[in-house]
Amino acid sequence: MSEERIIELLIGPQHPSSGHMRLVAEVDGDVVVRLKPNIGYVHRTVEKLAETKKYIQIIPLVERPSLADTANHNLGYVLALEKLLGVEAPPRAQYLRTILAEMNRIHSHFYGIGIHGIMLGSSTVFMWGFADREIMIEMAQWLTGARLTYSYIIPGGVRRDLPQGFEDEMEKALRYLERRLEDYDRIFIRNPVTRARLEGVGVLKKEDAIRLGIVGPNLRASGVPYDVRKVQPYCAYPELEFDVVVREEGDSMARLLVRIGEIKQSMRIIRQALKQIPDGPILSENYLKMIPPKWKEFMETKRRVKFPAIMANLRPPKGEAFSRVEAARGELIYYVVSDGSVTPYRFRMVTPSFRNVVLFEHLIRECRVADIPAIYGSLDYFPPEADR
Amino acid sequence: MMNLMDLLKWIINLVFSPWLFVPLIFPGLVTVFIVILFIIWFERKLAAKVQLRYGPLYVLKQLGGAIQLVADLLRYLFAEPIIPESADKLAFMLGPIFLFAASYIPTVAIPVSKSFYAFRSDISLLISLGLLTFGPAITLITGWASNDKFSLIGGLREGYLTMAYEIPLFISALSMAALYGTMDLIEIVESQVGWKWGLFLNPIAAITFLILALMSTSRFPFEIVEAESEIVMGPFTEYSGILYGLTMGASYVKFYVLCLLFSIMFLGGWKPVPKFLSWSPIAPGVILLLKSLAIMVLGVFMRAVYPRYRIDQALRMGWHIILPMSIGSVFLSLGLLLWGVVS
Repeated sequence: MSEERIIELLIGPQHPSSGHMRLVAEVDGDVVVRLKPNIGYVHRTVEKLAETKKYIQIIPLVERPSLADTANHNLGYVLALEKLLGVEAPPRAQYLRTILAEMNRIHSHFYGIGIHGIMLGSSTVFMWGFADREIMIEMAQWLTGARLTYSYIIPGGVRRDLPQGFEDEMEKALRYLERRLEDYDRIFIRNPVTRARLEGVGVLKKEDAIRLGIVGPNLRASGVPYDVRKVQPYCAYPELEFDVVVREEGDSMARLLVRIGEIKQSMRIIRQALKQIPDGPILSENYLKMIPPKWKEFMETKRRVKFPAIMANLRPPKGEAFSRVEAARGELIYYVVSDGSVTPYRFRMVTPSFRNVVLFEHLIRECRVADIPAIYGSLDYFPPEADR
Repeated sequence: MMNLMDLLKWIINLVFSPWLFVPLIFPGLVTVFIVILFIIWFERKLAAKVQLRYGPLYVLKQLGGAIQLVADLLRYLFAEPIIPESADKLAFMLGPIFLFAASYIPTVAIPVSKSFYAFRSDISLLISLGLLTFGPAITLITGWASNDKFSLIGGLREGYLTMAYEIPLFISALSMAALYGTMDLIEIVESQVGWKWGLFLNPIAAITFLILALMSTSRFPFEIVEAESEIVMGPFTEYSGILYGLTMGASYVKFYVLCLLFSIMFLGGWKPVPKFLSWSPIAPGVILLLKSLAIMVLGVFMRAVYPRYRIDQALRMGWHIILPMSIGSVFLSLGLLLWGVVS
């Protein structure tokens, strides 16, 4: 009589906590022997689609894969495009880009913490995370006009200038979020049940993290102080002071705490940037001179950019460009090849979630069934971002 | 005409006769439904308050959506209960019904006041606790009958947890029986004179009993059997319609019964009845119900505070912490008897 010890558990794609993916878990009793992530359920051919679109049309396209983190995706693509075009944004635009990117990081991390909370069963943190994320979304809406898909960063600058009174409102918002973070600390992070569920669970060793090419908070939680904002600074980051949040433990708790720490650092960056932001135009001189005087007047009174006609048919010279930015979930890479026509010849984006997906197989092994959502949540993995 | 009046009188007498009133009206079926309606609404409202949202609102807006659950229940009633092709059909269909019944039957042994009870037995504490132990076995059966991997895991989790909570639950209840020298619930209440509530006499037993009540009805932080983010809905994954409604209600009913027992053993039951209400026959029952509801509110509030434990952590807690604590409560009771704090 043969005995079947191991059962195969198909978690997802229709499962309350699987996200748009399937986890194929082999379970022996309550112990997960092996887990294979089955990705690709939300693949949208972003790269191939980009080869059929004009350069300016790609901006809204690259935002779509990661709705929680649109500004950084937008920024990464525009940085690559600017390298191709040979333009550079004026300092004020650089600061505005930095501010929006950091606002986005804050709301993306709140999103991740909320999802992590509900995966552990804490509906309070889920609701709080999604409510506090709303603060930054509202502020971003005020700045850019959209809640999530801003399309704010354009080649050579940004679309809008700071609204009147933005600094004061932002200070209020940041103070509120600081108070809220203390509440999170009380109810979730210092909660004995949370600690029991997360400490020592899903430990990622430093050398494994480097070997597997992990990026973002998941890497920094394993003790590697790698942050693109420091390693290869872009925009206004070289002029701003902030720390790279690093923890040595490498477990799920450390990944959660790194995110909390990064929220605090992002607040610090936003405060500094709003204080130091220089005056000046928000669009590169190259494009500014193409705008008719009447529209220029409009731009100055309304403090927003009127697109010059050339933007519709940008034709970068032949060549290739590569950019990387630190998105909320980690290093984000864009590679654009131009053949001199209005569409890119080849477009490549390497998203942080795609580089972190290997962790599912690596970390969820020899652990309990209940640890699957605990580790999944701590990775802040976002299936559409990985699938593109 | 006289005949009709006689018949009416007979019916009223029948309904108010304790052996029918207790299981059917209070603390039995009717009260059970009202308590479920109230406590689920209150749980959602309470959690919503903590989570910065409204909770149920639009069904009877004047009362803050108080009858939301009636609407949900109607929807459950008219939804099609889908029975999977591969399920063990009889066990699948009867499971929730038996589960609900097994959770609610122990109310028959619970007295409402000194003189109002369905039947008096000198082991009524043991009867009500013993009847409660049917539930987990039926949960296991439903988990198996669903023929679904998540249900199977959920059922097995219930089985493991039963081992961890039932023994200390009985021990801590029996430590109180030892303290009062009786297992008759009426005598237990009557022997809690003045300040000498079980809670103050033997707090260890009270704490263990409360924690185990949470554990045995899968309240947070022990919501392990139905852990949604892990195994969908545990043993009840495949259920829909009114069958699902019964499984959901069953754990609340069980919690209600345990809270009744808690208030009888530790909170002085229906005592103290205020002087100006002493004429009323329903006052003791209302006091008992209010005490139990207070404990239930405390229990459901945990949802807003705690995430859930892992099964092995809950088992370790049950065997390594709660079981020694419950044995300690027995020694505390014996000590109290020796020192003569209670006679």
